[in-house]
Amino acid sequence: MTSAGPLDLRRYACPITWVKTRIALERLAVGQVLEVWLPAGEPAESVPRSAAEDGHRVVAVEPLGRAGAAGDAYRVLVEKGTPAAALA
Amino acid sequence: MADLSKKSALVIGAGGLGGPALLVLAAGGVGRLVVVDDDAVESSNLNRQPLFGEVDLGRRKAVVAAERLAALHPSLEVEAFDRRFDAAGAEALAGPVDLIVDGSDNFATKFLASDAALKLRKPLVHGGVLRTTAQLLTVMPGQTGCLRCLFEAPPPPGQVPSCAEAGIVGALAGFAGALMGAEALRLLAGERGAYAGRLYIHEARSARSRLVLVRRRVGCPACAGTLPLGGEAVAAAVAAPAREVTSSRPGGPA
Amino acid sequence: MTPELTEDRIARWARQLLVPGFGAAGQERLMAARLRVVGADAVAGAALVYLVQAGVGTLWIDDPDVVAPADLEGWLYPPGSVGQPRAQAAIEGLAPLSRFVSVAPYPMGGVPTATLICASSTAQAVASAEVARRAGVPHVVMEAEGDGGTFVSVPVGAPCFSCGRVLAGTGRPPSPGAAALAALAAQELLQLIADATQKDGRRVELLRGIGSSRLTVRLPGCQCAPKPPREVAQADDDEAGDTVG
Repeated sequence: MTSAGPLDLRRYACPITWVKTRIALERLAVGQVLEVWLPAGEPAESVPRSAAEDGHRVVAVEPLGRAGAAGDAYRVLVEKGTPAAALA
Repeated sequence: MADLSKKSALVIGAGGLGGPALLVLAAGGVGRLVVVDDDAVESSNLNRQPLFGEVDLGRRKAVVAAERLAALHPSLEVEAFDRRFDAAGAEALAGPVDLIVDGSDNFATKFLASDAALKLRKPLVHGGVLRTTAQLLTVMPGQTGCLRCLFEAPPPPGQVPSCAEAGIVGALAGFAGALMGAEALRLLAGERGAYAGRLYIHEARSARSRLVLVRRRVGCPACAGTLPLGGEAVAAAVAAPAREVTSSRPGGPA
Repeated sequence: MTPELTEDRIARWARQLLVPGFGAAGQERLMAARLRVVGADAVAGAALVYLVQAGVGTLWIDDPDVVAPADLEGWLYPPGSVGQPRAQAAIEGLAPLSRFVSVAPYPMGGVPTATLICASSTAQAVASAEVARRAGVPHVVMEAEGDGGTFVSVPVGAPCFSCGRVLAGTGRPPSPGAAALAALAAQELLQLIADATQKDGRRVELLRGIGSSRLTVRLPGCQCAPKPPREVAQADDDEAGDTVG
């Protein structure tokens, strides 16, 4: 289950989208899941990649909004990984 | 200190690397500096760019850099160009100076600077910072390897850089940029460069450093003089895997 | 109280927040820090600039001297400031860089949470380092010469500055390239404050553009050795009468 209301970052761009996601993940306990909404394009691609590089588990990346609607935004679910991996 | 009042240098970029390099060059008594930067001062720059403060937000970096240097060193001659360092302008900008310091933050410019240095026979001081690692290299045309000998080619365009690579602490950029300035002072004084033909890498958390030899690569088109400036579009579209001597990408955002 | 990591602070330090060893917790530690800087000469200027830009909450400048012509080789002092008290000139030079940082003269009796020492003499460096060590304050001590020099980092409990430094230097006066040493000393101190896992002290030397480092080692018999518990009460009684300049 997600541990907090979704983090709505749809009006931000790289790298702030990753900065804010990373800060939110830092505040969670290992195993908790963060839901973040990202604009399509660079943020939706690079945030999941950066999260995985930092040692977290990307649970889902899916379009936000009606199924079949044009991809303006994405919902990304990230499960916090172990701190040691995140410090690498 | 040697008398460098008749010497000149081109510094590409006035930000995280170019800023400290300019400050060291000016303090070292270089007579003339040429600054090239096509950007405006933004809030996220202020964690690491020593020439700029909050009052400068929104202003053109090249202009503010020239003002700041002149205020600290009234007898310094500074020429500021609010433009990109590109193939069309490279010769006009680099031709009249003794040495090039590359503080740029993207691969296309770094490779162009290296190509221009070779073509115009000017020493080039190259540097970069990626998270907690700084690296420096000096290219002496005709003597040492160039950036293409080290990396073969920039990464293919369109490859989205990882956001995590944007991480940088100002102090480490200052370390790299100040070293670039000090290296430039050495070269202008006629001394051998510390990074001529060898890549210096320093990782700040472990405080470990190493030096890696950079030999001239047989078949390097830039060294052979067969690569026109801005040759990316002309040269092979496929980038060979970089013949890297480190496991991290060259330089990074300044 | 430490300010929150607000939107504008996140925008300011966005790039720094991504660096391993930094992050939100690290930035909050930096914002809560009270940093005493002993010595604000030309070389120290580069360190001061980067400490302010990194978002250290409070910077106390501890320097009784006036701006000398040699200080104009640094990054902070314009020609018109020669003769002005250096602490005040430094504060004026740093103010435009960041509204998030408070820069002030060192207040008598002020207790910092970290210290950077850029002293003008070895004797002063040793004395200032000892004050910091006894107060349990992590510190970095820098000695610039030529276009480089050395610094020693002393996290709490690590071998002290006297253990870590090397006695002989060439005694060359600092030149503009020594700004690289100052920037790296600032980086080291920022890492000590932001990253709670950095426990080892190092001596870092920068010579002609090339750096080298080694861990510091406690010299036998040095008073910086941690005392066994039953001796602490005795030692505290002995030290009660000391004043350190």
